[in-house]
Amino acid sequence: MTTLEAPGTPPPPPAAATRPLARKRSRPSEQLFKWLVMGLTAITIAMLIWLISSVVIKGAGSLSWAFLADKPSSNPDKAGFNSALRGSVVLMIITIFFAWPIGVAAALYLEKFATQSAEASERKVRERLGSGVSGVHAGWLRVRLSWLRVRPRVVHLVDVNISNLAAVPSIIYGLLGLAIFVGILGISKSLLAGGLTLAVLILPIIIIAAREALRAVPISIEQGAMALGATRWQAVRSQVFPAALPGILTGTILAMSRAIGETAPLIVVGGIVFGTAVPSLNPLDAGNEALFAMPLQIYFWTDQPQASFQAIAAAGIIVLLATLLVMNLVAIILRNRYSKRW
Amino acid sequence: MTTNVEPDTTADDAPIEIQLSAGAATPTHAVAAGQGAAAGPAQPELGPPIFQLRDLGVWYGKNEAVRGVSMDIPKNAITAIIGPSGCGKSTTLRCLNRMNDLVPGARVNGEILFGGEDLLSSDVDPVDLRGRIGMVFQKPSPFPKSIKDNIEFGMKVNGIKPTAERVEQALVDAALWDEVKDRLKDEAFSLSGGQQQRLCIARAIAVEPEVILMDEPCSALDPIATLAIEDLMKNIAERFTLVVVTHNMQQAARISDQVAFMTVEGKAEGERCGVLAEVGTAREIFSAPKDPRTEAYITGRVG
Ligand SMILES: Nc1ncnc2c1ncn2[C@@H]1O[C@H](COP(=O)(O)OP(=O)(O)O)[C@@H](O)[C@H]1O
Ligand SMILES: [Mg+2]
Repeated sequence: MTTLEAPGTPPPPPAAATRPLARKRSRPSEQLFKWLVMGLTAITIAMLIWLISSVVIKGAGSLSWAFLADKPSSNPDKAGFNSALRGSVVLMIITIFFAWPIGVAAALYLEKFATQSAEASERKVRERLGSGVSGVHAGWLRVRLSWLRVRPRVVHLVDVNISNLAAVPSIIYGLLGLAIFVGILGISKSLLAGGLTLAVLILPIIIIAAREALRAVPISIEQGAMALGATRWQAVRSQVFPAALPGILTGTILAMSRAIGETAPLIVVGGIVFGTAVPSLNPLDAGNEALFAMPLQIYFWTDQPQASFQAIAAAGIIVLLATLLVMNLVAIILRNRYSKRW
Repeated sequence: MTTNVEPDTTADDAPIEIQLSAGAATPTHAVAAGQGAAAGPAQPELGPPIFQLRDLGVWYGKNEAVRGVSMDIPKNAITAIIGPSGCGKSTTLRCLNRMNDLVPGARVNGEILFGGEDLLSSDVDPVDLRGRIGMVFQKPSPFPKSIKDNIEFGMKVNGIKPTAERVEQALVDAALWDEVKDRLKDEAFSLSGGQQQRLCIARAIAVEPEVILMDEPCSALDPIATLAIEDLMKNIAERFTLVVVTHNMQQAARISDQVAFMTVEGKAEGERCGVLAEVGTAREIFSAPKDPRTEAYITGRVG
């Protein structure tokens, strides 16, 4: 091995005297910031505690099995939460049934298929066009070619607008649901119409959450699968999707807890604020069942002047909050238990 | 731990132990056509070529990453690709099983004859090709599943029945069996980095490919795990063609039969592009390099 003597090696630096170690000193801005952040956190927590405790104090007395099992009534002592509970359960089933598959499919397409390998497919299509096909086949290839050309722009447009959709006020979704499901599709103002409206409402949230979860799976998983001779679909289905599933489910639950508390869009598509019917729990009957839901019932009760209605409203809020808490707990457990550190 | 690894340049002399699997894993098909048409420069030490790269070039968008690579890669031998980082070693390797198809904006030109047929041709099915030319990546990338599932996935997508014997054989070949035979159902992530990388090699072997490409397979591993993998590479080279990218010249010297040295060439102002500087047997490259850039690199004056 050749060792080259560097020309003109610089002389070693003179041994400097060691500077004494600095003493501890206070940093006021650091302290100030710490107290500020702590103070703001305390305010938030205090507000939450105040909210929950005032609701519990007001409503705990009215909470009983009878309250959960009884149907609504104009007599506050007899009125129960059963119809509202049933309505919300059926709403959630319908919402998830429609929003989940569509949302996850859209996320898979946008994340894994829409932007990939446009060049390769374009080249392939153009080569096949050049190799003298004719008639319908050539026309079809030309359609595909133009689609491949505009696809990136379409995908970008969809991309931007999904985020926008997630920020649209929920009452707008109510109006949309009224126009499409009740107006155009002719579905009666029922649990079905409400569930479909909520499905549209949380669709962008599910898509965004599912895309995040898919993106969190390292590309090496997908490429590793494809390097073994798997198609992209096989790689995504058997490796990427299962790895992303806990994240997708977490996002789905959070989206559902958004949907279960929605009131405004349900009022627009014909939510019942007062009624004495008891809706069936069978989601197949939802097209004929009146649109009951927990937040609607609470809304109606808080609107009444009598104090005893305020008490059962508080009891209803406790049930709704407990449901939300359980849903969020499941989401947190899912995330902690199954989230992978890649 | 085997310690019979000495840094000699004549890897062929090392004793070779092979366990031939019952199902005759030695690939025999698809080498007949076009053989010897353009056999390249005579290299008596090396066998017939399985890949023939002809003026291969790769662009990423408007950047030319690799230009004018022409070389033969001999069958059932280990070819090492060395060179400074960014010279296009990975890019070149990814062309060999069309993984560059998956990189948005990547364009490949030139020819890569595989058993005489151009594998870059647009009517060649890349999915089928990757079943015959496997790949192991720099960072161990097991699937987040059990050890067994990791091995079986490739078999399933290639229509090989995933029997217990085949799983065992792949793990034996990858020198991992003894360490994992009692815990096949464990998460692959519970293995150490070196074990994970051997699992990835086992996963590639299980598909019974003809070629295995490895992109710096040891760069994330400690020296002992590295030696284990080098041992295993030498053991399987009899059955598979191996193309290994490495930035470690000692490793290239220890394991390879043929060495390709790539480097970066400045074209116009500011533009840099990877080229093949020299290719030859390991002995030629390390004892008598012809290109001054190769000599500068292997004597450690550059890079
Ligand atoms: N996916 C990619 N997109 C764009 N440029 C890339 C990509 N991969 C590699 N390159 C570029 O190609 C050149 C060669 O890269 P690479 O093949 O990774 O080199 P090496 O493996 O020898 O370090 C580099 O200049 C790098 O920036
Ligand atoms: Mg590289």
